[in-house]
Amino acid sequence: MKKLFLVAIILMVATSVFAGSQVEVKEWTIPFLNDLSGPIASIAGYLDWGAQQAAREINANGGIKGIPVRVIPVDTAFDPQKGTVEMAKVVEYALAALGPVYEPVIQAAMPIAVENQMFSFNASTSFEFASKYFPWTIAYLPPTEKRLGALVAAWAQLYPEMKKVVQFVENTGTWPLMADAHVKGLTGLGLTVEKVEVPADAVTFGPLVVKALDAKPDGIVFVCNPEKISKIIKELKGRGWSKMDHLLVFSSGDAPELYSAGGADINGIVVYNYINPFIDTPRWNNFKAEFAKAYNGLAPFSLSPNYYDAVYMLKEAIEKTGVTGDPKKLKEERKKIADYMANIKAFKGLQFTWDTKDGVPTNKPAYLFTIKDGNKVLLKEVK
Amino acid sequence: VPLPLYYFLTIAAINILMSWALYLPYRVAHLHFITVANMALSGYLAGYLVGTLHVPFGWALLAGLAFGGVLGYLVSLFIGDAPTFAVVIVGFAAIYITRTIIENLKIVGSTLGMSGLPSILGTPSAHRWLVLGLLYGLLLLAGFLIHRFDHSRLGRAASAVFTDRELASSMGVDARRLGMLVQTFSCTLAGACGVLYAFIYKSLHVDFFTFHLVGIYMTAIFVGGYATQWGALLAAPMLYGLPLLLPPAVQAWRVVIYGAALILVLVLKPEGFVTRRFVVNVERTLSARRRRRNTILKEEL
Repeated sequence: MKKLFLVAIILMVATSVFAGSQVEVKEWTIPFLNDLSGPIASIAGYLDWGAQQAAREINANGGIKGIPVRVIPVDTAFDPQKGTVEMAKVVEYALAALGPVYEPVIQAAMPIAVENQMFSFNASTSFEFASKYFPWTIAYLPPTEKRLGALVAAWAQLYPEMKKVVQFVENTGTWPLMADAHVKGLTGLGLTVEKVEVPADAVTFGPLVVKALDAKPDGIVFVCNPEKISKIIKELKGRGWSKMDHLLVFSSGDAPELYSAGGADINGIVVYNYINPFIDTPRWNNFKAEFAKAYNGLAPFSLSPNYYDAVYMLKEAIEKTGVTGDPKKLKEERKKIADYMANIKAFKGLQFTWDTKDGVPTNKPAYLFTIKDGNKVLLKEVK
Repeated sequence: VPLPLYYFLTIAAINILMSWALYLPYRVAHLHFITVANMALSGYLAGYLVGTLHVPFGWALLAGLAFGGVLGYLVSLFIGDAPTFAVVIVGFAAIYITRTIIENLKIVGSTLGMSGLPSILGTPSAHRWLVLGLLYGLLLLAGFLIHRFDHSRLGRAASAVFTDRELASSMGVDARRLGMLVQTFSCTLAGACGVLYAFIYKSLHVDFFTFHLVGIYMTAIFVGGYATQWGALLAAPMLYGLPLLLPPAVQAWRVVIYGAALILVLVLKPEGFVTRRFVVNVERTLSARRRRRNTILKEEL
C-alpha cells in the first residue's frame, strides 16, 4: 500500500512538472511593429524579410518546442500617433514583440511596453535608444562611444600622416552621438577634428564642401544620409580631392543609395559596418541566396540580419525558460523572456556568436571595407 | 479604458484641439502654423520641469500654457495684421527654429529626446484617467469659448476681416487687435496641447512635432470645413481613426488618400463638408423644434 501511495505521489509530481512546461498554444505569434508604409518602407521590408526568413527556417526545422511560429507584421507607418495605438493593441495579447523600428515611434510606443512589462526587441536602433527601456528590450549593438571610437581610430591608424579630419554631420537621431564618438576616437590619437553640419533638407553641397576644404583636412568622415554622402563625394572629387581611402563612411551610410547614386565616384573610399558579407558559413550563404532570390539579386544590407537574429533569440528564450504561452501566465512568462534575453550566453547569430550581459552585447566585431568597382573588399576586422 | 481606446481618444482630442488652434486664426485669414512650434516648446518645457526638476505636473501644465500664450502674444505684436502669406512663412520658420533649438539642447536630450516622464497621480491607470479628464475638459472649454467667439460681434468682425480686410477696417474693425487676440488664444491652446501630448506618450522626441502635423491639421480643417468649428471636430478624429481601421494594404496609401481628399474637397466643395449654411440649417431646425415643443407645452397648460 505504501509503495502504491509513493508511486501515485511520484506520478502526480511528474505530471504536474510536465504539465507546467506544456505548450498551451497552437502557434507562437510574434508581432513585429515596423514602418511598412512611409519613407523607410523599403528598409522596413528588408527587416521584415529577415524576421520572416528566420520563422520559415524555424518552422521547416520543427518550430519552437514543436509548435510553428508566425511573425505578424504590424504597420506603425513612421508615425508615433499610429505606433502608440498599435503597441497598445499588441501588449494586450503578445508574449513578446519585435520593434518598433523608427526612433520617434520607439520613443512613443516603448513606454507602453515597459508599463505593461512586455519584452519588445528594438534590434535596429542604437544602444543609447534601447537602453532607456531596459530590461524590456535589449541592445543589438554595443554602446556607440566605446565601439565607434575604436573603429574610427583603427581607420586613422592606417594613415599615420593624417593630422586633421573634417566630419560632415547631419543632426538626426543617433547620428550626432555617433559623430561625437568618432571625435573621441580621433582626438585620442592626437588628431584635430572640425565639424561641417549638413542640413536635413540640403540639396546642393558646393558651399558645404568649400567650407570643409577650407579647413585643409587630411581625411573626411561622413555621418549623414547615404545619398548626400555620394553627392558630397562627387563634389569633393570635382574640387580636386584624390585621396579616396582618406574618406570614411559610417555604417548607416553604407546603404544601397550610396552605391546607386555614387557609382564609380565612390571607388576607393572606406566604410565601416557590423556585418561581413565574406563570411563563408552554410547558414550565411543560404541567407544570402534567399535574400538575392527575394530581392532581384541584391546582397543583404547591414541591418538585414538584425531581426533574423532577434527571432532566433526569442526562440531560444522560449525553449530555455519553459514558457508555455498560457495566457493566464502572461505576466510571469513575459518576465522570464526578458530576464533570459538580458543575459544570453554564446548566442549563435547569423554572422557570429556573442554574449549579452545585462542587455548589452559584449563581444561583437565590426569591419572596415574599401569599395572597388561598387563592391566591398574587407580591409580590417576591429574587435 | 482599454489601452488602444485610451490612445485613440487622447490623440484624437489633441488633433481636434490643435485643428481648432489653426481654425481660429484662419477666421481672420491667418494660417498660423506657429502653433506646432508652440506645442513642441511647451511640451519640452513641461517635460523638463517635471522630468528633471520634479516640479508638480499642475504647475508644469500652467507653465506650458503661459509660455505658449506669451510667445504667441509676442509674435502677434509683429504679425497680428500681417497678410496670410507672411503668417505662413513665420509659422514655417518658427517650426524650423524650434526643431534646431531642441536638436541642439542637451538638457532636453537633443536628438535622443526625453523619456521616462512619470505617471501623474502615481499609477498608470490614474494617470490615464487624469489625462483623459483634462483633455476632454479642455476640449469642452475651448469648444465653448470658440462657439461663443463665433456667435459674438468679434466672430462677425473676424468674418468681415476674412472677406475683405480693408473694408472691415473702414467699418471700424481693428483687424490687428483681432488678429492678436486669436493668435494668442491659439498659441495658449497649443501650449496646453504640447504639455498633454508629452504626458500621453510619457516621452518627447523632436520628430513628434514635424510638418506632418501641419498636414494633418490643415486637412482636418479644409476637409471638415474651415468656416465653422464643427468641421475640425468631425474630421480630426475621422482622419486619425480611419487609417487604424483600414486593412494594412490600404493603410499604406493613407497619405495619398489625405492628399486626394484635400484636393477633391478644395475643388468640389471649397468650404469643406460642414459649411456655415449647413450649421445654420441645423441650428434653425433645432430651434424650430424647440419652439414647436414650447408652443405645445403652452397650449397644454
